[in-house]
Amino acid sequence: MTKDFNIIGKPTPKIDANIRVTGEAQFGHDIQLPNMLYGAILRTKEPVADIISIDTSKAKQLDGVRCVITADDVDVNNISYRRDHPILKKGQVNCIRDEIAAVAATSKEIAQKALELIEVEYKVREGIFDPFEAIKEDAPQINHFIDGKYPNKNIAEHFHYEHGNLDEEKAKSKFVVSHRFTLPRVTHCCMATSNMTADYSKTDGRLTLYSTTQVPFLYQRDIARALKMEPSKIRIIQVVIGGGFGSKLDMYPYEPICALLSMKCGQPVQLIFSREEEFIASPTRQTMIYDVTAGADENGGFTFRDVKATLDNGAYTSWGATTPFVMMQTFSSLYQCPACRFDSTSVYTNNVYAGSFRGYGNPQATFALERTIDMLADEIGMSKSEIRLKNANFKGEVTKQGLHFITCGHKEALEIVIEKVKESTHPLIPSQEGKHKRYKKGVGYASMLHVGGGAKIYPSDGCGTTLKIDPFGYLTIITGSSEIGQGSETVLAMIASEELGIDISKIKVINTDTDIKPWDVGVHASRTSFVAGNSVLGAVKKLKEKISPKAAQLLKTDIDDLVYENGVIKSIKKSESIELDKVVRAIHFKEPGDLCIDTYFFEPSSEFADKEFKGNVSGAYAFASQSVEVEVDTYTGNVNVLDIHVAQDVGKVLNPLGLAGQIEGGVVMGMGYALLEELVVDKGMILNPNFHNYKLPTSMDVPRIHFYPIETEDSLGPYGAKGVGEAPLIPTAAAIANAVSDAIGVQIDSLPVTPEKVLRALSGNVKF
Amino acid sequence: MTDFDVISPGNVDELLLEIENNQSNNFRFGAGYTDLLLELRKQSGPKINVINLSNLNDPDFSSIVKSEINIRIGSLVTACEIVKNNDINELFPVLHKAANTLASKQIRQVATVGGNICTASPAGDIATALVALEAVCEILSTKNEIRVVPISEFMLGVRKTALKKNEILRSVVIPLRFFASLRMTNDRIISDFIKIGTRKSMECAVVSLAYHILQDDEDKIRYAGIAIGSSAPTIKFTKNAYEFLIGKRIKELNDDDIIEFAKKVLEYASPISDIRGSEWYRKQVLFNISKSIL
Ligand SMILES: Cc1cc2nc3c(=O)[nH]c(=O)nc-3n(C[C@H](O)[C@H](O)[C@H](O)COP(=O)(O)OP(=O)(O)OC[C@H]3O[C@@H](n4cnc5c(N)ncnc54)[C@H](O)[C@@H]3O)c2cc1C
Repeated sequence: MTKDFNIIGKPTPKIDANIRVTGEAQFGHDIQLPNMLYGAILRTKEPVADIISIDTSKAKQLDGVRCVITADDVDVNNISYRRDHPILKKGQVNCIRDEIAAVAATSKEIAQKALELIEVEYKVREGIFDPFEAIKEDAPQINHFIDGKYPNKNIAEHFHYEHGNLDEEKAKSKFVVSHRFTLPRVTHCCMATSNMTADYSKTDGRLTLYSTTQVPFLYQRDIARALKMEPSKIRIIQVVIGGGFGSKLDMYPYEPICALLSMKCGQPVQLIFSREEEFIASPTRQTMIYDVTAGADENGGFTFRDVKATLDNGAYTSWGATTPFVMMQTFSSLYQCPACRFDSTSVYTNNVYAGSFRGYGNPQATFALERTIDMLADEIGMSKSEIRLKNANFKGEVTKQGLHFITCGHKEALEIVIEKVKESTHPLIPSQEGKHKRYKKGVGYASMLHVGGGAKIYPSDGCGTTLKIDPFGYLTIITGSSEIGQGSETVLAMIASEELGIDISKIKVINTDTDIKPWDVGVHASRTSFVAGNSVLGAVKKLKEKISPKAAQLLKTDIDDLVYENGVIKSIKKSESIELDKVVRAIHFKEPGDLCIDTYFFEPSSEFADKEFKGNVSGAYAFASQSVEVEVDTYTGNVNVLDIHVAQDVGKVLNPLGLAGQIEGGVVMGMGYALLEELVVDKGMILNPNFHNYKLPTSMDVPRIHFYPIETEDSLGPYGAKGVGEAPLIPTAAAIANAVSDAIGVQIDSLPVTPEKVLRALSGNVKF
Repeated sequence: MTDFDVISPGNVDELLLEIENNQSNNFRFGAGYTDLLLELRKQSGPKINVINLSNLNDPDFSSIVKSEINIRIGSLVTACEIVKNNDINELFPVLHKAANTLASKQIRQVATVGGNICTASPAGDIATALVALEAVCEILSTKNEIRVVPISEFMLGVRKTALKKNEILRSVVIPLRFFASLRMTNDRIISDFIKIGTRKSMECAVVSLAYHILQDDEDKIRYAGIAIGSSAPTIKFTKNAYEFLIGKRIKELNDDDIIEFAKKVLEYASPISDIRGSEWYRKQVLFNISKSIL
């Protein structure tokens, strides 16, 4: 494909950039509805306790309070995909997030005051905060709403996957390493805290939710189920999102609570988390412990991987429990691997529960795998780059799990980052080294494999698009997909602009209203450019079938002779052209009269995984490799990330600006995971619910990031593109940890790699 | 959150009058509010008065003035103003650097010297540098009188200072010491601020080390102001380390001397373990960075 493009591949500013930088964008926090009330939630003070009594009488008497609800006041269903999560808790609390009561009042201050007036009597119970304790036979049952799917009463979810002959491959292995890895709890830190405005009309029984969800149609169904309503009576309007990163994939109790308050009061109710509440009560990345054993033959060829993952599920289930679905792809298929066994167990504890977070389990899995590969290389005496190149994935590979790599830039990505880090590394100059050889440098590599063409996990992984050209030549794209800051609106407008020759300034994207837009499964799995992009292409094709015959007729030529560009339709043969809007008017206002509007639904050709989790679940697969150079200060333990080289198989670059944003943001997020971030919990309490002690990287911490896109032009993607959004985060922590290990010669097996951990490792007094 | 009323005196007379008027009330001073607002947000209790200093128009409170013998810094001078001041940058690099590592550029625009000292946090960056420089606090009372207190006697513990209820911190004074007599040039000064934390910005020191060492024409150390932050309930001036260095030449120090010096600094450290670092880590790092300065 060497076609010249007008706009595809050209740096294009986001079409919503202006309203975002000027402050015009309406975030959830900005919404003001007539007669709006303010909601607030009373959460438990004790992570684990029986509730002896709840007295709301004083709160109800406070001036300005419109309603106070507890579990006794509502008729609702449990939420979460396991239906193990009551919206309001009754009788007992099991984690520090637990919602006990909620109020709606005429001001935020009154709502807060009312919370203080609610009296709750607790009888503290002993909690279980360690999944290995909770899984013991004699441990008390933590969640009482589960269906007995598993014999052990505290198991929330279990996955088992295997391929190949493990015993045979073990026997073949000349080198074997076994290691345990521990991953921390980190959280999304969205700039906009969780928010919702609910507007229930008692007149027509309809509920409008101004929501930050990233899966509006699944959400509509989930909310309806929770509230025992008809889904179609619920209209979801998606507000501008101040950061998502996967946090808005599930529905959490505050959302139906806000709706319930509005339904009780018959007035709109707005509920906004404080920053502290955001840290305490919004989801985290799944924390887990891996026990990995892996082998290689005498030439460094991988033989087997045997992985046990133990997930701390927290007190209720959210999507965190399903992240092993993604992890197993990394263990089964990142680098060629003849045999693999993967078992994961998600265990209820009295900790906070995890949701989905960019990468969906993959940063964790990649950390464990890539650390193990370094350990294997050390064992074999092989270079860290060579072992990776030798085992890299290749084009046309069908992995034992059934993933089909129609295109694959893995090896190329590795070659690039290995070469580039060689060029950028500089030995320490003597003055830096100092008389005590204070600084040590190291290089680390890691790769990643992630779905890049959607992921078939729901009955449909499709997306609908309606296109409408008005009589003045402007195009409206009504897409099922959602913009959550990733720049999908812009990419979709670019695709339509490319195909229809309409300038991007004349394209509007409508994507926020479930009453209007066609169905889409939601933003996840880095799927939007791929799936919604293909959907736009399909819709364009259908619309052209309507416009082209008319244009051909007016230009007195054949359809095949037409080119759409610069707002006109051109006949190549006759070098004549006609304005697009003229053709639209000719269709609309002349007999028989029709609108230039069409709808298309794109369903990717991916398959469902079978019972053994085998199958080609995505339309395309993304690969990336990163190499990192770090400098470790052996006096303080501080790790300074100098350069990060990122080579990523993106299929095709659609918008270089949007892509750079994803890459840089992802790498910095990965660096935070590697070095800084951890939500510290102790006996169920969160000790650092603020930006002071939860260390998010600042702009001053950003290293030099070098990006090398690899264009493999996947036959199924729009113009050959694959998903890119999650990938840049996934290998970063692994690569940084590998670099630190390389620098100081100590195996790193937990994140974040804090200065204190480094110093302890260096002083040899404590195992890392 | 504690509710409050704001009173904004425009000059020193009005200020002293307001302090006088509020002697039987609960009141606080507010300068840049980067500490005060957080504190009030965490508390609940009866309404208080805040005497807002940000409208105060008085050079003694808000300017940096150099004389033959000292530099006087008004309590309302911001971290940013310190960073931009050439005299401070040249004469007291330790103070320049400390002000420049405080929080972030945004916070530095409003955070004041007075606020940093009067919060009396063991982690105060500017305060740590001022302790190393043995600065002197100039305290103004409602009688319009000034009394002076050495800074290490001014800060008594977190949010505890030597101020009486009818007093306010007006300014701090740093003596020029040997600069005047020895006409010292830059290569005679070893002066810097080392702040340990995990991030490069927006970081409260896990430990910090401020040092200001002056050498004479024969390379002999004549002054060695060294202070440690986040290492004890208050910022400590490490007098024994000072005395150890006086009269010595840095290039003549051997490894054992350096270790002895670092041990003398460490004598003043009694850090706690908290979420930002363990006692072990704080001591270890303090020891390491103390060695690194010689
Ligand atoms: C995000 C953030 C990051 C921070 N990072 C750092 C950091 O890295 N290093 C650091 O040292 N500090 C840091 N701080 C703390 C704070 O910014 C500093 O201590 C700052 O110098 C306080 O100055 P202020 O003018 O804002 O004080 P204010 O908040 O106005 O006052 C602080 C206290 O001093 C009293 N006070 C103020 N002026 C006077 C006066 N003239 N006389 C008597 N009492 C007075 C007030 O009553 C109050 O008790 C940080 C704060 C925040 C919010």
